[in-house]
Amino acid sequence: MASVLTSVDDPVMEVQDLVTHYGAVQILRGVNMTVSPGEIMAIMGRSGSGKSTLLSYLLGLHRPTSGCVRLLGLDIARASAAELHELRKNIGVAFQGGAMFSSMTVGENIRLPLREHTKLDEKTMQIMTRMKLELVNLGGFEHLMPSQLSGGMLKRAALARAIIMDPKLLFFDEPSAGLDPVVAAELDELILRLRDALQMTIVVVTHELSSACKIADRIMILEKGCVLMTGTVDEVRNSENERIQAMLHRRPGTKEIDPDDYLQRLTRD
Amino acid sequence: MKYKTRKEGRYTVVELMGDVDLSCSVDARKVILEFLKGGRNVLVELSQVTYIDSSGVASLVEGYQTARKKELKFGLVGVSDAALSVIQLARLDKVFPIHATVEERLREDG
Amino acid sequence: MASPELKHPLLSVQQLGRTAVQAVEECGYVAALLVESLYWVVFGSVRHQPVRLPSIFSQMMTIGIGAIPIVFVLSFAVGVMLAIQGIHTLRIFGAESQVVIGIALSVTREFGPLITGVLIAGRSGSALAAQIGTMQVSQEIDALRVMGINPVRYLVSPALLAMLIMVPTLTFFSDLAALFGGAVYSTVELGLGVEAYLQQTLDVLAADDIMQGLIKSVVFAGIIALVGVSNGFSVTGGAEGVGRATTRAVVLSISYIVLADMVFTYFLNR
Repeated sequence: MASVLTSVDDPVMEVQDLVTHYGAVQILRGVNMTVSPGEIMAIMGRSGSGKSTLLSYLLGLHRPTSGCVRLLGLDIARASAAELHELRKNIGVAFQGGAMFSSMTVGENIRLPLREHTKLDEKTMQIMTRMKLELVNLGGFEHLMPSQLSGGMLKRAALARAIIMDPKLLFFDEPSAGLDPVVAAELDELILRLRDALQMTIVVVTHELSSACKIADRIMILEKGCVLMTGTVDEVRNSENERIQAMLHRRPGTKEIDPDDYLQRLTRD
Repeated sequence: MKYKTRKEGRYTVVELMGDVDLSCSVDARKVILEFLKGGRNVLVELSQVTYIDSSGVASLVEGYQTARKKELKFGLVGVSDAALSVIQLARLDKVFPIHATVEERLREDG
Repeated sequence: MASPELKHPLLSVQQLGRTAVQAVEECGYVAALLVESLYWVVFGSVRHQPVRLPSIFSQMMTIGIGAIPIVFVLSFAVGVMLAIQGIHTLRIFGAESQVVIGIALSVTREFGPLITGVLIAGRSGSALAAQIGTMQVSQEIDALRVMGINPVRYLVSPALLAMLIMVPTLTFFSDLAALFGGAVYSTVELGLGVEAYLQQTLDVLAADDIMQGLIKSVVFAGIIALVGVSNGFSVTGGAEGVGRATTRAVVLSISYIVLADMVFTYFLNR
């Protein structure tokens, strides 16, 4: 992969004017962002702000209407199948609900990328699997089925699977959603350790402000498919933007009402 | 990754150099295990390692376990910062016998 | 909803057009799936992403071996039923003993493949749709893709191959079971010796008759696998969507099997 990344300072991820549609509805309206090596970037926004959509496009799961996404220097919309395949080995993704394969044990789940992409010895794979499980505090849970794990455990198991190949770039969707505060704090801690020990670049999608402030170097705030602001934690905290302040202080957004339009919506047949 | 081997006292020193990652940890594992199978005490020198991933660390773990089973000596020497941070992340710095140099290890053995 | 001012006649024309476009789209999708899964079977190992033998075998176990008891029971029953109806009908002409020919030909050319096809569609086609649909809903398919594991290679190719091997095998087994069922009833009813029955059956059957059934069963296998898988992949909307897709997969694949059967029977007998 070193061949693709030409210099250490090149951004690990670069998004330019990303525009996407769902059917005829425009979801993302020109998103720009860059993430540098070793940086932890938090993508924040309320539900419906387009952050899950953005993530699916960052992962190359759909084709954007226009704009481009570069991961590790590779434009994923124009890359060949072989290039994309190589790229994917250097990217880890932990999905919100875990997305563990229900027909395999936790251990088999975590080992799957190794089994598919490497020719490592069985014993090496086993040790690696257990090392990652220990790392996420799930030592000894190797032989359980995903259905036997709780939500928080699934999330950690998914993280173990995402980092089994020691990726350069890690995506983490909602690490702390639905977890009790202690486990959430542990996960935040782990994310920081991963970055420090492995120089991983990490993109976290979250709606938890406290978690984002704790781990992120920079925060990008998304609203209605547009970037409201991108900046360091302090810059976001000190922002005078009303909508950002509303979000910081968990004030419900005040909807502006256009009386004519509202009446129209209620009475139209 | 490159490696060199040399003999020092009762030990065979395997010196790994460069990036020890998925593409070459298989070789590192083979070298280490072969010496152990031959009944040699092994020290792995990591001073010239620029990067080691978990497959490399896993190979070291397997080496240590094999040595213990055969009642041979095993250890890491001159662990570079890059390697140490990965070993610490896996909390293995408390498991492996780690020494700054081969001489230090020899002295400790007495 | 989009154009509320549109009233009845136009609305149904619009609906018809939409459905037609969807149908064409779906046919194209299924064809692409077929081509892609065969591509991985042939070229997978060249690209270092092989279709794994263990997953083919495990699919063969669930699709094939697990279905043996039910295939046997139903085929046996159909054999008995054919014998009863055949003897009843032929008695009008006083030609009861000819029932052996009737059973032998209709079982190998028609009932064996059809019973097996319908059964496997209900049993394994639905399971495929449910499995892939559930994986789609829980983001497992996305997880495969971002891991660099092509879902078609990993999930579809093994299932398709296993289907293509096991459905004809089961069909042959079903032929035997149905012939056995026919034999049991006829020998008792007509006082025929089992040996004589067998001899007569072997005299009547040509390799061609059995082949015709097996060729059809290969087509059925393709239909079951592809309809199941494509419905699974197109699931949206949670558990309810999975249920809908499963039902749709079964109904569609049984319909396609019966239609394909008619078309093939017509061409194979010209």
